[in-house]
Amino acid sequence: MTPLRSARTLRMLATLALAGTLGACAPHTGTTLATHGRRWFGTISPPRANVLRFNLGAEPELIDPGVTSGQTESRVSRILFEGLTSSDPQTLQPIPGQAYRWEISADGLTYVFHLRPGLVWSDGRPLGAEDFLWSWRRALAPRSASRAAGLLYPIVNAERYNRGELDDSTQVGLAAPDDSTFVVRLRAPTPYFLFLTSYTTFLPVPRHAIETWGRTWSAPGHIVSNGPFLLKVHRQNERLEFARNPRFWDAGNVRLDGIVAYPVDDLSTCVNLYKSGSVDWNPSGYIPSPFLPLMREYSDYVTGEYQGTYFYSFNVTRKPFDDVRVRRALNLAIDREAIARDLLKGTRRAWGRITPSGYPGYEGPPQIGYEPGAARRLLAEAGYPGGRGFPKFSILFNTSEDHRRIAEAVQAMWKRELNVPVELLNMEWGTVQQATVALRYDVTRRSWIGDYLDPNSFLGILRTGDGNNRTGWSDPRYDALLDAAARELDAARRFRLLAQAEKIALDAAVFIPIYHYSTHELVKPYVRGIYHTALDVHPLTRVWIDRDWREHEAIVAAPASRAGRHEARGAPGAPAPSDGRPPAGGAWRR
Amino acid sequence: MTTYVLRRILLFVPTLWVIATLSFFIVRLAPGGPFQSEKEIPAAARAQLMRTYGLDRPLPEQYVRFLANAARGDFGVSYRYPQRQVREIVSAGFRVSAELGGWALLLAVLAGVPLGVLAAVKRNRLADHAVMGLALAGVSVPNFVLAPLLVLIFALTLYWLPPALWNGPASRVLPVIALSLMYVAFIARLARAGMLEVLGQDFVRTARAKGLAEPAVIARHALPLGVLPVVSFLGPAAARVVMGSIVIEQVFAIPGLGRQLVGAAFNRDYTLVLGIVLFYAALLLVLNLLVDLAYAKLDPRVELS
Repeated sequence: MTPLRSARTLRMLATLALAGTLGACAPHTGTTLATHGRRWFGTISPPRANVLRFNLGAEPELIDPGVTSGQTESRVSRILFEGLTSSDPQTLQPIPGQAYRWEISADGLTYVFHLRPGLVWSDGRPLGAEDFLWSWRRALAPRSASRAAGLLYPIVNAERYNRGELDDSTQVGLAAPDDSTFVVRLRAPTPYFLFLTSYTTFLPVPRHAIETWGRTWSAPGHIVSNGPFLLKVHRQNERLEFARNPRFWDAGNVRLDGIVAYPVDDLSTCVNLYKSGSVDWNPSGYIPSPFLPLMREYSDYVTGEYQGTYFYSFNVTRKPFDDVRVRRALNLAIDREAIARDLLKGTRRAWGRITPSGYPGYEGPPQIGYEPGAARRLLAEAGYPGGRGFPKFSILFNTSEDHRRIAEAVQAMWKRELNVPVELLNMEWGTVQQATVALRYDVTRRSWIGDYLDPNSFLGILRTGDGNNRTGWSDPRYDALLDAAARELDAARRFRLLAQAEKIALDAAVFIPIYHYSTHELVKPYVRGIYHTALDVHPLTRVWIDRDWREHEAIVAAPASRAGRHEARGAPGAPAPSDGRPPAGGAWRR
Repeated sequence: MTTYVLRRILLFVPTLWVIATLSFFIVRLAPGGPFQSEKEIPAAARAQLMRTYGLDRPLPEQYVRFLANAARGDFGVSYRYPQRQVREIVSAGFRVSAELGGWALLLAVLAGVPLGVLAAVKRNRLADHAVMGLALAGVSVPNFVLAPLLVLIFALTLYWLPPALWNGPASRVLPVIALSLMYVAFIARLARAGMLEVLGQDFVRTARAKGLAEPAVIARHALPLGVLPVVSFLGPAAARVVMGSIVIEQVFAIPGLGRQLVGAAFNRDYTLVLGIVLFYAALLLVLNLLVDLAYAKLDPRVELS
């Protein structure tokens, strides 16, 4: 670290103003280093111990995979537990986990999983099909109050049992005919089911520990797990420490001795910790928005598309939003490109559809564009020529600088193109949630992140009566298409049905899509095996610290090898292909 | 003296009851509830949670149950972190905040009192102006500006100290300095004012007339009375500082009580909010009592009644 001191001082002074308002981490280059002509954000010395340290972003509400649903909790659960399937760290495609093979019946309704022989919990007790049976039933039991129990609903009778309409858990389509065979019966073919089996809610939990310790079963000293790492220390709001699990079936390929996760919720602090080398990985979501454009010049900044969309939704139970022409007019009057380009500095992609990109084979309907002329015509048809007589309404959003700026832009566009009176209504998050659920709003900011790699994860929320609908909109044709898609075995035909459903929802203009989410992470050059993924899920089983990363940098463009040796593809710092397409693995850097 | 202390302690009960009652109803006035999320929780799960925590009972019944449990010091589990008792969370957070605050206050006294005394003794001279200028800066610069500045200089430019976390002695340095600077300034100003008042009094003149050396006059005669304003400031200051500074804990990712309180309020974690508020109230009452007792000890003119 021997940069020019005078330059450093100048830059430091120049960044003081920004630091004062945003937290002190304006990325000045005085302390960045370069290797092989590439620049890194902050220190680049590997940690002394063979341990990965990362920002967790928030304190996990509880460690109980069957019950929780948040991203933070999922991240912790996947470190500690492994499901029937696991996820490929680059593509997230299902790979064998606790089950080493499975069969799917010709009608797509029965899955038979074969567990690896000799599986054990971290305390040495044998782990078998009965454990999965008990864990899944527990997740479905009403008294567990599982947040994500809905993901199990494709299973026969799961929904009825979870809703309390059925008392007998043996009626749920799950069976363990012997120790190593687990059978799942679905009520309809579910093409994405193998993605689900690696999801948090589907992880096995230790019955014996839960029955012994009750509420505190997952505290260090009590917890028994079956994944690559064990929980050693958990101090609230301070740290979680994990150590390698010697009894994990694939322990030989786990190369880290441990992992430390810091529940830091201040975004500027997250970046500070990364820059100073206190953490080696700053996952997506923990960089303050204004810094994103500045990060592009660094090679440890990894960005790519994320399965999420940012949109506004209408409350169609209120006038004049019950009129589809009004909704379409407001939709067509928004210049999404300008928002993405000027406001978000190109850090996210303008988007005019409900489902995000990234479902191979899914051709969604054409995106809603920017057509102010058509918008004005529609509004006139609806009885508000030139915006005359249009009632005053509000955009409701929760407190955040980004939300405010976008709402102001939308307000200005609606005023300019349609001359309608809009006011901004900023409330704290909990209040916004309540107002949205109770349909006490006109237009509100929302977002949706996919749970699994399938358009259904998005389209399902607009079903009639779905708890996440929150618009009052309902269309029997839409519901029927989703039902038909759920019964369809042929993948291409199923996607066509889903695309038709999405077209109905887009034509009804219930949502105003604005942008497509992206992930923005920082990964130190010596960390191998962390890739950009569309769901922002990162299996850490085979991640490792590469102490000779500088030597490997020279060959970083060489063909990839399997995880566990030098990672080239998607390894931090892999150059983007010259044609600008993302390299295999999906990551591109700007 | 004993009677006085007992009477004060008896007064704690109605005071805490009023605070508990107000807090109980105010947290419930906030829109939303503890079990809300961007993604809908299934209705069955929500109903189960409401039952588990007795939130489906009528409000008066909830209030009575809350008071009965609170009287035993039992606030139940946190709604947000159901694997933890409120008691555990409060005591863990308080230990951290108290340590941070304790160091900050110690630094503030050790730096502030000598600076104030120096300014008083060198009244209207360069040292006085320098100290008072510093004190003015210390009072004026808010810690949400000071903390990031310290991080920028010492953690991200010089790489001497970690920028955050609660992770060994090095990680304590910046937050302690950031938290204490304002108190250093306050204490310096109070000590100066107190000393100036005392230095002009007859008994100091008498001590000098008796031929005592100036350092002895200041240290033995003037200082005990001169720091009285500092002592009375220390009580409320200690209460404030050990409860944790929200800004400092946020910027430095310190697992203290201040951060917990903010999080609990946003999460509508009723039990945790009430636990922290009542703990804070009790602490404030005790600290105020201790200050009054210390005051009586230091100043023979004060009578406890």
